[in-house]
Amino acid sequence: MPEDDHRRTIDGTGAAPLVGVGTAVWARSGSAADLEAPPEPATVDPAVERGRFDDAKARAREELERERERTAERIGEAEAAVFDAHRQFLDDPQITDAVADAIADRLPAEHAVRRAFEGPIDQFQETDGTVAERADDLRDVRDRLLRILAGDDGVDLGTVPDGTVVLVRRLTPSDAARLDPDRVAGFATVEGGRTAHAAIFARSIGVPAVVDAGEELRSIEAGATVLVDGDAGSVIVDPTTEQRKRVEVGGDVEIRAAPVSTADGNPIAVDANVCTLSDLEAAIHHGADGIGLFRTEFLFLDRPTPPNEDEQVETYAEVLDAFPEGRVVVRTLDVGGDKPISPPGRPGAEHSFLGERGIRRSLGPDADRFETQLRALLRAEAVGEGSLSVPFPMVSTVGELEAAIAAVESAAGALAEEGVDYAMPELGAMIETPSAALLAEAFAERVDFLSIGTNDLTQYVMAAAREDDRVAHLHDPCEPAVLRIVERAVRAGHSGGARIGMCGEMAADSELTELLIGLGLDELSVTPHSIPEVKASVTGVDTDEARSFAERALEATTKPTVRDYVADR
Amino acid sequence: MERIVTVAPEDGLHVRPATAFVRTANGFDANVRVGPADGDLVEAESVLAVTSLGVPSGRAVRIVAKGADAEAALDALEAVLSTPEAKRST
Repeated sequence: MPEDDHRRTIDGTGAAPLVGVGTAVWARSGSAADLEAPPEPATVDPAVERGRFDDAKARAREELERERERTAERIGEAEAAVFDAHRQFLDDPQITDAVADAIADRLPAEHAVRRAFEGPIDQFQETDGTVAERADDLRDVRDRLLRILAGDDGVDLGTVPDGTVVLVRRLTPSDAARLDPDRVAGFATVEGGRTAHAAIFARSIGVPAVVDAGEELRSIEAGATVLVDGDAGSVIVDPTTEQRKRVEVGGDVEIRAAPVSTADGNPIAVDANVCTLSDLEAAIHHGADGIGLFRTEFLFLDRPTPPNEDEQVETYAEVLDAFPEGRVVVRTLDVGGDKPISPPGRPGAEHSFLGERGIRRSLGPDADRFETQLRALLRAEAVGEGSLSVPFPMVSTVGELEAAIAAVESAAGALAEEGVDYAMPELGAMIETPSAALLAEAFAERVDFLSIGTNDLTQYVMAAAREDDRVAHLHDPCEPAVLRIVERAVRAGHSGGARIGMCGEMAADSELTELLIGLGLDELSVTPHSIPEVKASVTGVDTDEARSFAERALEATTKPTVRDYVADR
Repeated sequence: MERIVTVAPEDGLHVRPATAFVRTANGFDANVRVGPADGDLVEAESVLAVTSLGVPSGRAVRIVAKGADAEAALDALEAVLSTPEAKRST
């Protein structure tokens, strides 16, 4: 191999905004695609194959039990339940019978397994929504059997040496459960979308991850030094010292528990975005000033019925208690887009990013769920310690915002009538659509704060779907149109008298901190692991200089120009 | 022995309710089969088979049980299907 071939970048999709470097190890999950053509039937002994299959099944069952335990311990009972479904698929008579039939037809166990799973996988694949995800679970069970049959014990991801980068064909929930975040420096996959359940696991345990890097990833040999940039979505083989610096800087940043200000004394809150209660610990550990975004839809995912009011009060109060001095922003249910929750009465309905999602559902078909959630939020504010703020997602008209506020008032009225303790939270609006950005002043006059959700705002401004890899290059907060709309929203929001925060990947990029402060943002909410770096950046900023830098960046008309300006700071 | 029961879980007989159904059925010695009230029956011990029925919420299903504890099995399965909040991970 020529010398300059060693150092190369493979592009994928970032699944966690973290960077790690380490030694590559391939966790070769078996894959049906890797099977060679079956041998001559005469050479196959069905009794032997039957025994091999039974052994593999027993091994698979043991692994599933172990992984279930580990997941329940580390991530949560709800996430561990996926392994119960896997066990049931493993023991399903429809599968076992089909395997027995295929072995009787003199197919080796591997091929029998592949054939037996084909029908059920197709069957689930054809259905819509959450059921289609079961096809992934079936594939996971199938590939586990194939891996065991191939005689591969699998690399035990829980016992790899410190500083290992795990490369794997697909990021399955099982792989994620086996990952030990203390030892694994990063994770990259050949296939698989960013929104896959397992990618969410990787994010919640804080492992740098790049998914969907394509076949080129397979050319990386075990033992190579690999940098996984879960922020840029790239995998760099044999990175330069320069490139490795980013990792070291990230790793050594001091954790500041107290709120920080710019060099000239302008206080900037740095809060954490969290999905589940298990993220709270990471938020506290990394020095979050508060919670800038609690995504409540994760309370609803993967369960057939929503959590009831009391259960929700308990959860929200727990988040409030975690930040007695701070502010806790709990966003109301944002169903739709990449978070498919089966709507009542409409199984499999489409959750388009441009369709009925966020506040549109809350004011429409999910009005009951919305009411329950609002009651729970108001009750939690009365019992929890910290100060609660509630923004509404996906608002695009003043009418929607007013209707949402009226719903809060009506929930408060009902609680008062019932004699139930409650307190009013601060209310806010998410700026996620271009229309919300353009109406920010009118929004700001009606609420206490605005929060710019850059991931959604970018996709709507650029007309580039978040989940579509083919347009991922357009999904960049440094696009001049995105910068300009952010600037406009901040200015309009301030003149309407609201505080303005930002959550999303743009806020977590510490290279952009100066620019964001220059644009006038008051609060940044980022993934817990990015907090130390963002806080460090804040302390180095001079507000006046940041303002003139932002003015210059706003004049740029191309993304490379903006990136160049940022790189030169 | 058989019984007609209306499916209460709002997602119909999809994966989670179906999982609870199959687990319950497997807890009895009786051989249990299930299907739409007016259609073909499948073995209740296969989650794949039960899910593939695609029975939506509010539809009637026929449960047929044969064996010593058939009646107890039908009672337990009726309870699963008429509980709107399917249990999470039981």
